[in-house]
Amino acid sequence: MKRVVLALLILVGLVAIAQAQGAAPSPAPAGVTHTVVAPMGQPGVSTPPTDVDTGSGAWMALLFWTFAGVAVLGSIFVITRRNLIAAVMGMVATFFAIAVLYMMLYASFLAVIQMLVYAGAIMVLFVFVIMVLNKPEDEPWGLVGLPGKALAGLAMLYLLVRAVGVLWNVTPPDQKVAMDAPPQIVVSWREQPKLNDPRPTDQNGLVPVSERYDFGSTAAVGNSLFGEYVFPFEAISILLLIAVVGAIAIARPLKDDHDQPGVS
Amino acid sequence: MSDLFTHVGYGHFLALSAVLFTIGVAGVLLRRNILIIMMSIELMLNAANLTILTFARMHGDLSGHSFALIVIAVAAAEVAVGLAIVVALFRGRRHVDVDRITMLKH
Amino acid sequence: MPDTAPQFLGLPLFAWVILLPLVGAFVNLVLGRWLSRQTVHVVAVGVVVAAFAIALCAIFFPSGDWSLLYKFKHRTDEASPEVVAHLFSWIQVGTPNDSWFLNIGMDFRLDTLSSVMVLIITGVGSLIHLYSTGYMSDEKRYSAYFGYLNLFTGSMLILVLAANMPVMFIGWEGVGLCSFLLIGFWFENPDYATAGRKAFVVNRIGDFAFLLGMFLLWYVLNHGQSLAPGLDFADLRSDAAQHVYTMKDGFFGTDRWATIIGILLFIGACGKSAQIPLYVWLPDAMAGPTPVSALIHAATMVTAGVYMVCRLGFLFAASTTAMMVVATIGTATALIAAFYAFAQTDMKKVLAYSTVSQLGFMFAAAGTGNWVAAIFHLGTHAFFKAGLFLGAGSVMHGMAGSGDITKMGGLKKHMPITRATFLIYCLAIAGFPLLSGFFSKDEILGGLWALGHWGHHPEGWPDWYGNFLWITLLIAALGTAVYMWRLYFLVFEGEERSETAEHAHESPWTMWVPLAVLALLAAFAGVIGLPHLTGTKLPWFTHALSSWLAPSIDEATELALHNSDNATYELMGVASLVGIAGIGIAWWLYGRGPSKKVETWTAEGHLLHEPYIASKNKLWVDELYDLVIVRPFRAVARGLFEIVDRFIIDTVFVGGWAFLVGILSRISRWVQNGQVQRYIVGIVIGAAAIFFFASRGHHAGIAYREIPQGVELKADPGAGLSGVGVKYRWDVDNDGQWDKKPDAAADDTSDAAYIDTPTRLVRRGDIGSEVTLWIIPKSGGKGETVTEAIVFAPSEGSK
Repeated sequence: MKRVVLALLILVGLVAIAQAQGAAPSPAPAGVTHTVVAPMGQPGVSTPPTDVDTGSGAWMALLFWTFAGVAVLGSIFVITRRNLIAAVMGMVATFFAIAVLYMMLYASFLAVIQMLVYAGAIMVLFVFVIMVLNKPEDEPWGLVGLPGKALAGLAMLYLLVRAVGVLWNVTPPDQKVAMDAPPQIVVSWREQPKLNDPRPTDQNGLVPVSERYDFGSTAAVGNSLFGEYVFPFEAISILLLIAVVGAIAIARPLKDDHDQPGVS
Repeated sequence: MSDLFTHVGYGHFLALSAVLFTIGVAGVLLRRNILIIMMSIELMLNAANLTILTFARMHGDLSGHSFALIVIAVAAAEVAVGLAIVVALFRGRRHVDVDRITMLKH
Repeated sequence: MPDTAPQFLGLPLFAWVILLPLVGAFVNLVLGRWLSRQTVHVVAVGVVVAAFAIALCAIFFPSGDWSLLYKFKHRTDEASPEVVAHLFSWIQVGTPNDSWFLNIGMDFRLDTLSSVMVLIITGVGSLIHLYSTGYMSDEKRYSAYFGYLNLFTGSMLILVLAANMPVMFIGWEGVGLCSFLLIGFWFENPDYATAGRKAFVVNRIGDFAFLLGMFLLWYVLNHGQSLAPGLDFADLRSDAAQHVYTMKDGFFGTDRWATIIGILLFIGACGKSAQIPLYVWLPDAMAGPTPVSALIHAATMVTAGVYMVCRLGFLFAASTTAMMVVATIGTATALIAAFYAFAQTDMKKVLAYSTVSQLGFMFAAAGTGNWVAAIFHLGTHAFFKAGLFLGAGSVMHGMAGSGDITKMGGLKKHMPITRATFLIYCLAIAGFPLLSGFFSKDEILGGLWALGHWGHHPEGWPDWYGNFLWITLLIAALGTAVYMWRLYFLVFEGEERSETAEHAHESPWTMWVPLAVLALLAAFAGVIGLPHLTGTKLPWFTHALSSWLAPSIDEATELALHNSDNATYELMGVASLVGIAGIGIAWWLYGRGPSKKVETWTAEGHLLHEPYIASKNKLWVDELYDLVIVRPFRAVARGLFEIVDRFIIDTVFVGGWAFLVGILSRISRWVQNGQVQRYIVGIVIGAAAIFFFASRGHHAGIAYREIPQGVELKADPGAGLSGVGVKYRWDVDNDGQWDKKPDAAADDTSDAAYIDTPTRLVRRGDIGSEVTLWIIPKSGGKGETVTEAIVFAPSEGSK
């Protein structure tokens, strides 16, 4: 418990440091105030608010902080637990929190996929393997090569601070799109008219149809995936096939070898 | 300063993903059990995913979602093969302690 | 003026005199192991005899106009008759216009002085080579011996035939080297090897002084004006050079250049010619084979110093101090060496000290300006001293290798020829009237007497000095006679004192023929140097030597050293008396063998005991040198070895680097230990490094170009990754205020009012004289300010 609190405090401190670099504002002819990022969820100009944007900014902030905290706590769980199943549980909690965060970013499809694939399949696979080799290690923190790890830790801290510093000040190129609710995706095509189709046709006898999908919805993502990115999609399917075959090939027991499950 | 907590913007998400990534790296470096290490790798992938989706939202571009989906698929494949390797390793030596696996030395 | 020499195979004839012995040396040293003994000694003796023959031709026999004697006799030119051979340019630095022009050529000159030396070297040398074939017949390193002997002959010839000082130095060093090789010829015996080393080291000390003198001479003559760029003797003799010698130098204020140069060169001569304080090597040099002692340490090498002094007589004569130093040291050496010789019991040691003493005589003559007498005595000494040594060798050969005179005696019965020749030599050295030694010694003493009484001496020369030297040298001459005849009586007269003596036999013809020839020379060679008698008309050949040498040795530098006839006869009488008295004393004491009287006189508690012990121990000079010089030197060398070599170089530097490499490798080994996590550590550190280095950017700048719509200004934050979170403020019209958006109110100072884009498109007319850009990081900080004047290319107007 103490370690968790300590880690959290360190994290908060780092974030504060990264944010609070530099002191006085630059000398300019006129006074300058801090740039404030416009809160999310405020009604924009172009599209009407969707049901994700209910509530004021403070509620969203609370939502964010809660699940961000859960994500961080869960990941700290993962890296500090001796018991493997406990680590797996932490991992699942993290995945869940991240899924919620995905929801906040209008990535609803991916949030569900995250839960299904990660927490549902990958973690189950981990549990199976843990079941096979249930051998807790002697010590969670290996002291071998500590100087190297300490050096790496320092490097990592430095990276973290610099990365956060960079990322924090990212300016969206188009303020309108960034600040408002994301625009809907418009997909249009032409199709054959159905029987007794009341829709108008164009000069080629096809009906122009246009549909609007929400940003990040299944239809939108599917449209993108099977439209513009069909080649990576197909490549990924081959990759999965290879992974399956490879996994079986590697983990298959040898002819004169029968393995004993989970005896320690 | 209180604005930082009440108004959550892209920077927060990105900072969070950086933090998660760091925790993942720490896990990879510090733990000796191969399974924990693999879970930390998954954590790193998730942090990357978060970053991608944040930028997708920022630009209003759905390509990011496809990208993230591909990443998830790749992570799944990697976990499958990786765990198969772990099982194969365990078969011979009855332990999965990374510090004692030094076949790359020579 | 120098003549163009007749050529043989492209070289002047007299150059072959030098070349033949060197060729012989090469053959014997390099190919000797595959040649038979016959071949070896035929080659070795043959080259020297051939060199002698060629020298005779080159010097004496008239044919056309290339012989010196012909010229000399017919006085075809007034200047010194000489033949010069310039072989090649050896060292050349700079151009004739530089003040530091150094031009040393490999030049050789055959003039009257060097011809005398050449004849002595090749003549006596051939006899000794012949003698060696008999003496060394049992030696297993036969070819090496003859190779060294030839090499020595060649080097000595280089020395005397050199036309300039550097080439002379080549010969100087060469004879030193050969002396070392030959003294330590039987190096299996460590004592002999040490003797060789001692000779070389002591010689080296002299050589060092010689070099310093040479350098100083060059400096004096060549800075400011190039009088003698190669130290050629002809240049050194010139009037301009003479003027320089008499200039005061800066070292000691009131002394002349000639003084310091002369003294330095003389120290070199001391080393080579075994004068005080560098004579200590000569007695030890008796460790070498006896013919070597005869050739090197009697006839030739040790005379190199005398030759050099005579050759540079004009230089020495320019400084009274230098002359006095030469004369004094010469006389002192003559006396002290005679003192040493009384108590020696080894035959060759007696002869060695005798050599040192006689060399002292020669230097005494040279130091008083009597160059001709010095050379004359050099020649006669070569004959009888070489003969003495060869005779000693013959005696030792008969005595189965022993030279201990306490075990000899009565050898006249067994070795008649040796005894006869030895007798003649002893008479000559003692100054028995009408033999060569008599005349040469008399010239020396006569010169000293003349100096003391009516010579004109240069300033600074004390009046009494000539007389003082005369008396001292006379005492030394008496001593010479005594110890030499002591030697003779103890060896040949009386009864045999050991078994070996009873079984002694005469030596083979290869050994006694040279003895005979030398005896003839020792007896009759004095005829060419008779004193000048104004009253009597003597045949021209009796003054041949002085006339012959006159062109090469400046008469002007001679102090007036001619006595009146009466004085000459008186002096001759005194010298004869002294010589005969010495023989008489020796006969009285040793006539019938070891002397009981001497034994009692020198026994414990008696008067002569202390001097006897001192003489026997050579005044402990060797021990003194060992204590004062050799031991400290050894200690310093050992200290340097331990500290510098062992510690600093080996331990600190060599070992230190190895240690450092070890440490570095231990560190480097850390990187790869086979653990994957270690490698990931590397990745992380690398990533951080990339981040770090990518953020160190160049300075910010403004890029601009002209497009049809106007001018496009582009801000370049230049700070790498940090440039992501920055805001921009422009001032395009150069009014000192940040540019505001067109629709912002004039008094609006919030961030939203200012133009904050990285690129701007403006009309050309809106651009002021300068454009300023502020790049401010969003996270705070000053940021950077860039100011640039927008300039367009003249014709096209676009970048």
